[in-house]
Amino acid sequence: MRADIIITDFKANVKTWLRSKGILFWTLAFPIILMLIFGAIFSGTDDFSYTLYTQDQDDSSYSQTLISILNQTGIFELVTIDPSVDVLDYIEEHNAKRVLQIPSGYGSQVTASLANPSVNATITYYFDQTETSTNQIARGIISDVIQNLNMQYTGAHSVIKIDDEPTVTGDFNFIDFFLPGMIGFTIMQTCIYGSIERNTKYRKDGILRKLQTMPIRRMEWIFSKMLFQLFLSFVTASVIILVGVLVWGITVHLDLYFILLVIANSLLFTGMGMVISRFVKEEETADTAGGAITFPMMFLAGTFFPLEQMPQALQSFARVLPLYYVNEGLRNAMIYLDTEQTLINTAISMGFALVFFVSGVLLTKWKED
Amino acid sequence: MMNRTVVCSKCQTKIPIKGLPNQTITVGCPKCGAKGKVTLPPADTSSSVPAIQVENLRKEYDDLVAVNSISFSVPRGIVFAFLGPNGAGKTTTVEMIENIRKPSAGKIKIFGYNIESDFNKVKERLGILPQEFHSFDRLTVRETLEYFQHFFKKRTDIDSIIAAMDLGAVKNKLYRELSGGLKQRVGVGISLVNDPDIVFLDEPTTGLDPKARREVWEVIASLRDSGKTVFLTTHYMEEAEFLADYISIIHRGNIIASGTTQQLIDSYGSGNILRIHNIHNKNAKEVLENNSYVVDHSHNGDLKIKIKTNEDLPHILEILKDNGFTYDSISVKQGNLEEVFLQLTGHKLSEAQL
Repeated sequence: MRADIIITDFKANVKTWLRSKGILFWTLAFPIILMLIFGAIFSGTDDFSYTLYTQDQDDSSYSQTLISILNQTGIFELVTIDPSVDVLDYIEEHNAKRVLQIPSGYGSQVTASLANPSVNATITYYFDQTETSTNQIARGIISDVIQNLNMQYTGAHSVIKIDDEPTVTGDFNFIDFFLPGMIGFTIMQTCIYGSIERNTKYRKDGILRKLQTMPIRRMEWIFSKMLFQLFLSFVTASVIILVGVLVWGITVHLDLYFILLVIANSLLFTGMGMVISRFVKEEETADTAGGAITFPMMFLAGTFFPLEQMPQALQSFARVLPLYYVNEGLRNAMIYLDTEQTLINTAISMGFALVFFVSGVLLTKWKED
Repeated sequence: MMNRTVVCSKCQTKIPIKGLPNQTITVGCPKCGAKGKVTLPPADTSSSVPAIQVENLRKEYDDLVAVNSISFSVPRGIVFAFLGPNGAGKTTTVEMIENIRKPSAGKIKIFGYNIESDFNKVKERLGILPQEFHSFDRLTVRETLEYFQHFFKKRTDIDSIIAAMDLGAVKNKLYRELSGGLKQRVGVGISLVNDPDIVFLDEPTTGLDPKARREVWEVIASLRDSGKTVFLTTHYMEEAEFLADYISIIHRGNIIASGTTQQLIDSYGSGNILRIHNIHNKNAKEVLENNSYVVDHSHNGDLKIKIKTNEDLPHILEILKDNGFTYDSISVKQGNLEEVFLQLTGHKLSEAQL
């Protein structure tokens, strides 16, 4: 590969990009606007799922009554955790967002409290505090239930108290969830449409035919375009992070995994754009095909809303979408600092990137039939 | 074994020959019977080798034969026009020569190199303007030329291209802001950034207004003057007539005639026609026919006389004068390629049925 050829093509791409107001808007201004709007609107309403895990270690009539009343609300779908299981391990393994643990001795504490108001029966509520609104709703319902029970038992003092235990370290809100999704989504859009436009428009304009006859190799051209898309991806990610930090005060952790995930995201959707434009040759049709792929991912891959709020079938579907793993990887790498989840999602994203980029390279042909 | 085509010095008939490099062979013209000896060139890439050689080139798309086993050769330093209606197979042929499309069969050599295996060896020597080429919208004219120039080892001074293409006034304008004619001139300029030996121009003036077309013609003519070989595809008869040293007419994937403009008109055209407007004597037609001229009446009564030689015109005027025939005016209509195409295919070039 000749470096001078790659640099020449890269520089031409950057010049073209800087001179295109439309593309500048979609790559820079649009994500900023979305960050500001979505951050303002959705910062308190991020989840509407009501699955509640319960672990009854007491197995008394009191504990069963509590669970029974929670069940009768009709709001929670209760999932029982075996009393012998370590609840924190369970939460991690099952990604449980809300767990109510009734400890052994709860029944006797209730009995004691009835006689002595200074004694309380304590239950523990573990929750994922990043899903702010769901937990506000769920926590509110549980509080109501406890309040009613307290009224039934004594009509005066609180017999039962809730000990809140957030399961995710740190103080997060919706915008923390949203920022990595926004990075994943914007890079996807930039790369897939950039790739489609380049391949279809340049084919229509005869530029690919012209290049085919010149001393530039197909791989040099592809490599240069890949570098340009990476450049755009990091610029876009930087802008979104800046807005997140400066406007919303987000604390962001940037490390090697973040870089790997941005690279994977960029290669993945650049490759996907190349694959699409190989089979759909008309510019407008290819754009539509790109939209047909990116639109579902925008909503189903955990970009703007947590997966948990969706029906189970859609949640399963989301797990075949490449963007889901990019978003999850970025979230865990940048915000939650969950190394294991970061590693898993980075590996899966890199796998997707490899498949799509290699396919794109193999399918991108300059030669006409 | 090498294939060559020689042209009969008497009747201009193209005669295919085969032989070994440096071999001298006797060739007989199948049309006029003339005989002569031809020595085949050595098997190297020296200047004796034609710029382009095409042998039995064929392109099929399913049941459609786009190019039907055509053969031709383009000598160095000429403007070669591939003339034919839209869809005749011109672009398919030129794109196979440019290695953009893969032929179904046949061989293509550029400067003696087989392009199927050695295209990279001649890339640096080619300048190509694809059909309907449109460069990068948001690069200036100068940046566009510099961009394409960077890929080549051999480079022409950009300012000299800008001057030659008369693009000085717009060199800092974005490509998207240029008129159609200027864009085509930039396209031709791009094809010259490596000072190529062969320039391929595929329909370079399609869609341009007459003024812009004429400007591009001037540029192409200057290429020939600078010694470059120009392979021009066009469906404009007047473009081929104005520019080409040698023309091959392609129709429905077949080359149906080749030669210089004059050779084609002489061979297939109706010749030059003398038209006498409002001749006042009814027996003028008979008198001229008695002098062995082919005479016809036009629908408004004018006489149309076919002129075969340069001597015919003064001779006819002398007959008219000697017989005291009077007339309002005369005009001469020259034969053209449109007539040639009509004669060969039964259709006008501009209205050809594919």
